[in-house]
Amino acid sequence: MKRDEIPPGTLSMLILKALSLHGSLHGFEMANFIQQSSEDVLQVEEGSLYPALQRMLIKGWVTAEWGVTDGNRRARYYKLTASGRKQLATELSQFQRVFGAINRIVQTA
Amino acid sequence: MSLNEALRRIQMLFQGNRFQQDLEEEMRLHRELREEEYIERGENPEVAHRTANQKFGNPTVLREKSYRAWGWNGLATVLQDLRYGMRSMMRSPALTLVALLSLALGIGANTAIFSFLDAVMLRSLPIKDPKQLVLLGEGLDSGQTDRYGSTDLYSYPFFRQLQQRNAVFSDVAAVLSMRNDVHGTVDGRDETELIHAQIVSGNYFATLGVQPVMGRMLNEADDSSEGDHPVVVISDTWWKRGLAGDPNVLNRKIKLGTTTFNIVGVAPAEFFGTKVGEKPDIWVPASMIQSVPPNWNYYKQNFSQSFLIVGRLKPGTTIKQATSNVDVLYHQIIRGFSDVDTSKRNMEHLDEAHVQLTSMATGISGLRQTFSEPLKILMAITALVLLIACANIANLLLARSTVRVREFAVRQALGAQRGRLVRQLLTESLLLATIGGMLGVAFAAFANRLLLRMISSGPDVIPLDVSINMRLLLFCMAITVLTALIFGCIPALRGTRIAITETLKDGRSTSNTNVRNPLGKSLIVLQVAISLVLMVGAILFIHSLANLNKVDTGFNREGVLRMEIDATVTNIKPSDPRMISMFREIEERVSTLPGVKAASFAAFFYHQGTWNNSIHVPGVPYNENIDVNHNVIGDGYFKTMQIPLLAGRSFGPQDTSTSQRVAIISESVAKNLFPAGVNPIGHHYYTPSEQPANDRVVIGIAKDVKLRNLNEEQQYIDYFPSTQSPWGFQHFAVRYDGDVTMIANAVQQTIHSINRTLPIGNITTLDKQVASSITNQRLVAQLSAFFGALAVFLSCIGIYGLMSYMVGRRTNEIGIRIAIGATRANVRWLVMREIVLLVAIGVAIGIPAAFAGNHIVGSMLFGLNGMDVASLLCAILALLGVAIVAGYLPAQRAARVDPMVALRYE
Repeated sequence: MKRDEIPPGTLSMLILKALSLHGSLHGFEMANFIQQSSEDVLQVEEGSLYPALQRMLIKGWVTAEWGVTDGNRRARYYKLTASGRKQLATELSQFQRVFGAINRIVQTA
Repeated sequence: MSLNEALRRIQMLFQGNRFQQDLEEEMRLHRELREEEYIERGENPEVAHRTANQKFGNPTVLREKSYRAWGWNGLATVLQDLRYGMRSMMRSPALTLVALLSLALGIGANTAIFSFLDAVMLRSLPIKDPKQLVLLGEGLDSGQTDRYGSTDLYSYPFFRQLQQRNAVFSDVAAVLSMRNDVHGTVDGRDETELIHAQIVSGNYFATLGVQPVMGRMLNEADDSSEGDHPVVVISDTWWKRGLAGDPNVLNRKIKLGTTTFNIVGVAPAEFFGTKVGEKPDIWVPASMIQSVPPNWNYYKQNFSQSFLIVGRLKPGTTIKQATSNVDVLYHQIIRGFSDVDTSKRNMEHLDEAHVQLTSMATGISGLRQTFSEPLKILMAITALVLLIACANIANLLLARSTVRVREFAVRQALGAQRGRLVRQLLTESLLLATIGGMLGVAFAAFANRLLLRMISSGPDVIPLDVSINMRLLLFCMAITVLTALIFGCIPALRGTRIAITETLKDGRSTSNTNVRNPLGKSLIVLQVAISLVLMVGAILFIHSLANLNKVDTGFNREGVLRMEIDATVTNIKPSDPRMISMFREIEERVSTLPGVKAASFAAFFYHQGTWNNSIHVPGVPYNENIDVNHNVIGDGYFKTMQIPLLAGRSFGPQDTSTSQRVAIISESVAKNLFPAGVNPIGHHYYTPSEQPANDRVVIGIAKDVKLRNLNEEQQYIDYFPSTQSPWGFQHFAVRYDGDVTMIANAVQQTIHSINRTLPIGNITTLDKQVASSITNQRLVAQLSAFFGALAVFLSCIGIYGLMSYMVGRRTNEIGIRIAIGATRANVRWLVMREIVLLVAIGVAIGIPAAFAGNHIVGSMLFGLNGMDVASLLCAILALLGVAIVAGYLPAQRAARVDPMVALRYE
């Protein structure tokens, strides 16, 4: 199966979206979510989630807390903050505007 | 960046370790979970592990990326450099210690001297807009009170007229040129105490823009009518020290003479008046001048020139405009006084008079006149010492960086950029300099107190703020960075400029070019040259001091007790017969004490100022430009001071206030101011203020003495008996034999048995008084000797360090030489020759520099004309001597090299 890389700049949007849907996730769950929701089209270099998460922590879009997984292992769970929700809205609308524009160009026969 | 974000970044900085661990754990979990997933799907564990890792990406890169997300990357490298620098400093503790010590002394000395320079010369007065303030005249506090052309000191009526008539100042204030040190009583106490009083015009504080911390300052109303306003403002220091910071201070009173003053306000702590190095305890309005002993009547006299005048320029007014306005007014006011003396001589004087306006931004300072030159010289000396220290450290670092050549080559081969290595080395230098700088500040704080003590001639320390302040720290930081750059750059650039492959190939890591080390050698030459200059300077100053000490004062300075007695507390006028008889009684009773040989009052003993003017001697053309210094003395003066009388007699009981007025003249007055070939004894003369009818007859000739300073030209002096020129004496001297403390106690008891209330202070000896008049020269001599020695010491360390290093590097070569037949002496000479050559070149460069330096300090030297060849030779020999000692140890070590060991070396 051929997989595509995530377009640059959209990784944080995907993470924010995943968190907005599931409330609280650890890194592994986010990677799985992105892969499954995209029906295996999008491939993440899974580790690249972590620098992105650090950046988002700094920006204050997410908070992190240590918790325990179903398999009884220690994992760091991330949650959206209010400003993270705002950021998601901004990124989504920006993405849709750009995507729409590209789409219009491409569809022009 | 929002505030929260910044806070999170900072938090992160301090929790760096936890962050790393969290991230590690998080990423490990991720990989493990993925691995397990693959195994569950039936993959072989090894493949699962590999695939999981592959999918995850390079963890090191990710870790760094995450770390960078926090934005502390640059700082982290710096910290890393610092840690590395710290470790490499620890690896050579001896070198580090020497470097730190040199830096601490170098930077500390610079900071200490700068703090004095700042306090005495640079710092602005702590008042509102000091730049707008100007002083009329040049701030000289010795005026000419009997001439019209004085443009430094002014009368109080002159001040009032100028205040009303000028067009250029928003306000003008007057302050008495001298501080009155009087004895007063604080209410509720029995004892009188010494109080420094400053007499000022009522608007003094308003003009300066100084606000009270409590109560109010003086105002115009306090200065509106003479004698009616017994109020004072006190200094913060005196409030805390003299009144124990009494919160109720505004209800307290101070009695000076018969007048009781109310304290109306406290001045702010930082305000010390207008004169640097003089801090009044109280400020008294000029209207009360008569009640602040000693009984001056300056308030209404048009020609008692004793006030300094300060003006605040109106906004937009230039100094030039102000000068021309003041100049015009000066002539109008003086000529307009009703009692102006329009004699031709006075008018000629007046025509020539011009008022010069001087900026008051940094205040008036007698200290500045005394110490600005020595301070500048000392600043230059300490800067040179610092330069030597820098050269030293550069050399040591250079030697070390050459040892580290392989390390750098390896690192460069592994891809480290040269810029990065230079940065690493500079960080190390900066680290060294910063620690040195901090030690230096600590050293300066200590040295400042010592220096202040050294320049304060009396028992009280001069009130000068030389504490470490912001400006000083900035200065210190600046020189720290500068030194780091100076001594850090050369080794950093040199050490990293490497032909990598060659160095790596050459297992011995010592190519010959490095052994020759021309840079290190030039630094040694530079050090030697500077050391020579400093040493010559030190020897010259010491020589000059010795010359001063050898000066014949004309009196015997040994065995004389000195004290000051404030008779103004009795509130009796000096001319009152009761006062004259009290002085007489003190002199007589003290003279009969066991162990006392003689005792006398005098208007001036050595180094206490003078009162002078010209004299009219019949038979000799009058020359108003020749001043004779008058002294009013008790009958025992010559006996006490042991000043030989060359002819005639001394004063005695026969010289009373009603008998023929008499005088004793000094040898040079007799020789130069009296008609040649005529015996001055029996000859009459008079001063301008005495009428010819009231003239004096010369009854004796005394040997010439020094008056103000040891290095002054011969002064003309005459002496008047106290009965005929009453003087409110303060100065008392006792020639004694035996234990000074016992005599001092007995003298004080005797004085108090005559008048219990007389305050006695400043108890010292004539010898100490003479010594204190050359404080300045002694200070420069001692400090330059100290710094000269320091310079030589640092240079020796430099020579020793470089030579040891070179001997170490050349062990191999030396071994070969010995093996093929060189004697130990040959080897020793091989090393010594190098040292002697370097020192010789340094000396050759240093000699012309020393001549130039000598030229600059020439005016500060006494009894030395041109370059003192003996001093120069002395310095050269001393320098050669210590350099040879410093070089001998490595030479000796070279001579002891065992050829077998040396050849196996490396």
